[in-house]
Amino acid sequence: MNEELDSQLSAMFDDELAPEECELLARRLSRDEQLKARWGRYAVVGAAIRSERGVRLNAPLAGLVSAVILAEPALAAAQGARRTGVRWWQPVAAAAVAAGVAAVSVLWLRAQAPLAGAPLSAHLTAPTATAPGAAVVPAAAAGAPDSYVVPRAPAVRAVVPSTELANYVVAHSVFSSPVTRRNLLSAFMTGEAGSAAEEPRDDAQGNVQ
Amino acid sequence: MRRAMSSSERLVALTLAWAVAGAALADERTPAQKMAHESAPAQWLERMNQALTTRNYDGTFSHWHGGRVEMLRIIHRVQDGTVSERLASLDGSGREFIRSGASLTCYLPDQRTVLVEQRPPDESLVGFPALNDQTASFYDIREVSHTRLNRRNTHVITVSPKDEYRYGYRLWIDDSTAMPLKTQLCDTRGHVIEQIVFASLTLSAHIPDSAFKPEVSTAGFKWLRNESAPPALAAATQAWNAMRLPPGFRIAARSAQTLPGSADPVDHLVFTDGLASVSVFVEPQRREQADQPVPESATVGSSSAFSTVIDGHKITAVGEVPPDTVRFIANQLKAQEPPPVGSRRP
Repeated sequence: MNEELDSQLSAMFDDELAPEECELLARRLSRDEQLKARWGRYAVVGAAIRSERGVRLNAPLAGLVSAVILAEPALAAAQGARRTGVRWWQPVAAAAVAAGVAAVSVLWLRAQAPLAGAPLSAHLTAPTATAPGAAVVPAAAAGAPDSYVVPRAPAVRAVVPSTELANYVVAHSVFSSPVTRRNLLSAFMTGEAGSAAEEPRDDAQGNVQ
Repeated sequence: MRRAMSSSERLVALTLAWAVAGAALADERTPAQKMAHESAPAQWLERMNQALTTRNYDGTFSHWHGGRVEMLRIIHRVQDGTVSERLASLDGSGREFIRSGASLTCYLPDQRTVLVEQRPPDESLVGFPALNDQTASFYDIREVSHTRLNRRNTHVITVSPKDEYRYGYRLWIDDSTAMPLKTQLCDTRGHVIEQIVFASLTLSAHIPDSAFKPEVSTAGFKWLRNESAPPALAAATQAWNAMRLPPGFRIAARSAQTLPGSADPVDHLVFTDGLASVSVFVEPQRREQADQPVPESATVGSSSAFSTVIDGHKITAVGEVPPDTVRFIANQLKAQEPPPVGSRRP
């Protein structure tokens, strides 16, 4: 990994990278496993250092992710066996993973030109690239009052839709409402169409507030 | 002897009268008026639809479904009344969907195919279903909170179906722009089955034409087009209609068209309840299709498709509804006698 990229990662973690560069780096993070791993290691170090003067994390997000991590059966079992209370590294590790979650999910919302109403200019951090099944952060962090259900992750399906189905989807999309059309076309773009026999079971497990 | 009312008593009486009158008026409101009064939720949906279809924006978002998450980019522009849109997968398939006015192009690198569909020029590309009285009867639309998401003020609107024929939604709508920053599609039990969250979103006054060029290299790809003019609707020898529909659904559009790569005309019927829509395609069953298993089901994300054969015609229903709904509608299609000469079709 080159020095420049390392420096960018560092600046991004410190919230000191320009939004445009953040956007590019976030995209790269989303598809570069090596970079993602690097970020994870960096986050651990960064969080450990910052813990001495206060970890700079979105507090609710870090708290929620910490709660999820501590609720993991393996961790809970280890904790029970040792009966030594929360060890010093657990909050750091949890915060580090929280930072990792936030890292690959950086959100910016801005306007290049003045719009009617309030101008948009904000540098935002949010859990976006995480799957709801993997992390219950988005809904909870947003303060949504309703419970959040974690669906069972089905086996990965890789059935390519036939050209005929593609034709139908494209023709239908013209008549869909904007939100449902985006869902339909997004699903089609990601190529996850499959036969009904492979439809995931819908028995969700567990509600997490 | 009757005592005159004091001023405070008159005030109380007046207040009660207003309350009673208000209650009576409330009872007489139509569902649409009730929806407008309870307000803001339905109005936020309208504002969101307006924002999504009329604003210029360039955004990157995560799409989650079935345990998989992928990043996509969407660019949308309305310029001189022409809608341009580009949707591209950033992670996996490399597929791209590009709309330029009435031309829809779908790049499928995994199939080494490009589909080009030319819609009728007079067809509105923003003719999406609109909320109406019936919509309020089949969905419970509420604003459940007014919260901060990604440091933005958002209205959290829930759209809960009242029966099993449709899906529900949770929408985090930005207070200043009405853009949905996060969308969850929920099944009839309220379980999240699909989620979209924007990672970056830029609202631009100007987006250059170059933003709508595909990144896919199409060398050696098969191009399928529907450039032949679709047959006139009146020339159809049979009129297909649904004998029954799920509650709240009604026919919203009907057209005859050819699909890319096919010379055969297809009848395209669209049914909607104001939020969800289902397309039904009717085409003569081709000889080579006789060996295909029917009925046949498929899913595209949380959307459903179902094909069957009725009276020698292949019927395919596609929509953002549960599988049972497309199955129900497809099985209700029936050919009817052509209308008498001079009569108008719906």
